[in-house]
Amino acid sequence: MLRAILLKEWLKLRWALLGLALLHVGMLAYLFLSLRHQFQVEHSEMIWYWAFELRRLPYDQLMFLPALTGAVIAVAQFTPEMIGGRFRLSLHLPVRGDVLVWTWVVFGAGLGLVLSVLDAAGLYGIMRLFFPREAAVSAVLTALPWLLGGWVAYFGTTLALLEPAAPRRLVYLALGLAFLGLLYLHRGYQEYDRILPALAAASLLFIPAVILPAHRYRHRS
Amino acid sequence: MTATLARWSLLALAIALLAVWLPLGKDLLFEYRYGKTNLFYSPVIERFVYKELLGDGHQFVYRDETGTDYAREAFEALIPFIYYKNMELWGKLPLTLQGRRFDKAGIQAARQVLQLDPEELPEHRPRIQLFPLLESNPGRARLRFPEDIMRPGQRLTFINSDANRIDPALTRTFTEALADAGFAFPVAASFGRVSILKPFDAGFFLLDARAELFHLKRVDDAPVVARVPLPPDLVVRHVKVAENKRGEYLGLVLTEDHRLFLLGQQDYALTPLPLPAYDPERMALKILFNPLYRTAIYSDKTHVHAVAMDQDFRPIDRYSREMVMARTRPVDQVWSALVPFSLALEDPNGRYLRLQPRLHGQTALIGIGLALPLAYWWLRHRGLRRRDLLPSLLLVAVTGLYGLIANLLFPPERASPRLSREAAEPLTGAAEAAAAGGD
Repeated sequence: MLRAILLKEWLKLRWALLGLALLHVGMLAYLFLSLRHQFQVEHSEMIWYWAFELRRLPYDQLMFLPALTGAVIAVAQFTPEMIGGRFRLSLHLPVRGDVLVWTWVVFGAGLGLVLSVLDAAGLYGIMRLFFPREAAVSAVLTALPWLLGGWVAYFGTTLALLEPAAPRRLVYLALGLAFLGLLYLHRGYQEYDRILPALAAASLLFIPAVILPAHRYRHRS
Repeated sequence: MTATLARWSLLALAIALLAVWLPLGKDLLFEYRYGKTNLFYSPVIERFVYKELLGDGHQFVYRDETGTDYAREAFEALIPFIYYKNMELWGKLPLTLQGRRFDKAGIQAARQVLQLDPEELPEHRPRIQLFPLLESNPGRARLRFPEDIMRPGQRLTFINSDANRIDPALTRTFTEALADAGFAFPVAASFGRVSILKPFDAGFFLLDARAELFHLKRVDDAPVVARVPLPPDLVVRHVKVAENKRGEYLGLVLTEDHRLFLLGQQDYALTPLPLPAYDPERMALKILFNPLYRTAIYSDKTHVHAVAMDQDFRPIDRYSREMVMARTRPVDQVWSALVPFSLALEDPNGRYLRLQPRLHGQTALIGIGLALPLAYWWLRHRGLRRRDLLPSLLLVAVTGLYGLIANLLFPPERASPRLSREAAEPLTGAAEAAAAGGD
């Protein structure tokens, strides 16, 4: 049964995943080209000064990519479930409803994780081409809250989509946006180093939380 | 069970987010306009004078430590070395004080400001440990950044920025020069002022593995290293390098036990600064030099302290006062009564974001007292039995208004025989399908 559920998720997500993979590769290529362009038109030591001392982030075009990715995966995964009451049919599969929902989100969040790893590796590799390793490591550490934003956006969108009542959907969206807002307060690099474990721990609360709209869907529709 | 866990997870998330965002919303609605008190030592009346914003608009007060108020122009005339350009404009230069005449050039030559903010301390902000070591003898009018960057570590590595590769020759030359001067690798800390907008370049101060301090400069592309003599009881925490045209002091040395010294430019002589109650973790410090006095002014968010010193840094007068911004505003008092705590993410003394809970104390009992009956009414309205209310009411008792709002956003499901039974069971589609005979 679990294999069938995963196959269904794959069928729902494969085109979205292909599009997202292309988008991520495209954004990384754009990052490479924009850095290459900067190093062609400016003195390298000045770019290093801007990056290290003035704390400019030459990779900030990636800032909202994970959040967008999380939302797109959730929409691709759960919009079909909400059309024509298909979600109710899924809840009648011979598997516990909470296990079913968690399997779905593990699959969706897992795909998001794969893309996040691609982003982090790409960011490190591209930064390393133009900067010393300290700057590449710093870039990945700076991008970690943005990657966490992907997780939050995925779960926020999932909660809103699975929820049967429109007002509560807005509450879930507001909750997701309020959390996302905490992840973009930086003024420079690595400012989340000391708070990120706490934010990551808080974001784990989304895992049990995602059961509530499914529970409400089942008992209201 | 899982639905209950889900709801409580959402309650926890909602309360945490409300405790962050609602205080920010309050501050946005009721903006905080009071700035810090500007405190000076007047060489004219030989008393401390200050300028303070009392409220909305331009409610400035210009006052001395005895409480005498002044008009703005009279106030500025009390500190002519600060407002010397106005003095010139008003035809009051040269001025005579303590039997000495001071013209514009003389005032300018004697002025210097040294600053140390908590945010500058290495532990208070992230910094990629790569620094440009400027050429101190550029042989031209302006300083310029070198095409390599210094990486302090097991050796002093230089990385060429054009090729993004280590420069082995430069690395060897500078590492050997430091080792020959007695420097014990690895480099424990590096202090310098990374800028080309300064009158000259003083290089970097490097702390070695034995906590000894060395001064490194790049002169004609070669290393010049000097050991900074330190008293045995002094452990350096931070060196604030501040090149200045006066050429007397290179900056400040902060020790691990919060003592502060001026660092002499010629011989690295350390001049202790008598700063009672100075706490570098949370106090911003300024040292003002003028032709007659040196004044150290340091303040946190509530109090400002000042020490006036003669030219040899012997204290001649001291003053402290609570700033207007320390007074609790009515809106803050109401807020403290409404919610029991808030979560602040931004640290006023550093660049790292931190999760700082701020408890509001006993006044918050008022808000909790209001929230509890409202929560009771709401939960009863949802059809909950009295014994089922207890966990939610306990949550409101601890989190006050936040808990009430969270309960309004994520209320318990309305009690009904069917829902009560099912809520107690896991979300079992198969069981329901079997019971209902399938949809």
